[in-house]
Amino acid sequence: MRERTNEQWLAELRGPNPDEALADLYDLLIRGLRVGLGNYRGGVDANAEDFAQEALIKITGNLDSFRGESRFTTWAQKIAMNVALTELKRRRWRDVSLQDLFARREGADRGPADPHLTSEQLALQNTVLEELRRIIDEELTDRQREAVVAVILEEMPISEVARRMGTNQNALYKLLHDARKKLKRQMEASGLSAKEVLAVFDEG
Amino acid sequence: MLKRGDVIKLVRVVAETHETEIGCDECFEQLDSFAETGISGAEASVAMPLVGDHLDKCADCHSKFEALQRALRGT
Repeated sequence: MRERTNEQWLAELRGPNPDEALADLYDLLIRGLRVGLGNYRGGVDANAEDFAQEALIKITGNLDSFRGESRFTTWAQKIAMNVALTELKRRRWRDVSLQDLFARREGADRGPADPHLTSEQLALQNTVLEELRRIIDEELTDRQREAVVAVILEEMPISEVARRMGTNQNALYKLLHDARKKLKRQMEASGLSAKEVLAVFDEG
Repeated sequence: MLKRGDVIKLVRVVAETHETEIGCDECFEQLDSFAETGISGAEASVAMPLVGDHLDKCADCHSKFEALQRALRGT
């Protein structure tokens, strides 16, 4: 591929004969996707052409948003990774609804108390657990609670949770940030330091 | 409902919470610069601490960053 400056990329892609630049960019995106996502479960190989094509449309449609703070090719590959990972995650999680996730969670036994705990340690754990449950129940909104469970505890991708909650990834991150800040403040108000809580549960 | 086995995960995340954090959109805007800074050998999290902090907290954005970094090293 011919080396180009950022300005040359932009001029060629905006110019009357963009074919060579488009072909070079497409090849670069394909190689980047294969290297960048080669080990992603679900595989990128079979879909690399589709992802590169979709990314190319987004890139050429948004040239004005390139701020020149990186190489043009880095910016373009960032967009390709976003296209590919968003789609791969969507496919991987497509059969999981939030309702299923919450129902499975209610049925699952997530770490009963360690039988080696002393009765004192167990009592301490139970006290902390009850207080954390109270804070979550009383201080968080329903949506914050759902997001905390799905994203933080169940580790579902935030983009997929956002899709199911009818919002977008950025807004859901902000909702979670507000929830985490509330939890932090309330834990402090209840005299629960993170260090102490972790010590109580790590002992198990 | 919070289960016993969730406590450590939740409390670790809460402990790392800061008053000021950037969202996914702002992180994505700067991800190309951040990745190039890291590739150049500089400490990207020092130069762009809010992006580094976001990537520590957001698995979705972190996966994009990792893929981009691998692509930059390999192409």
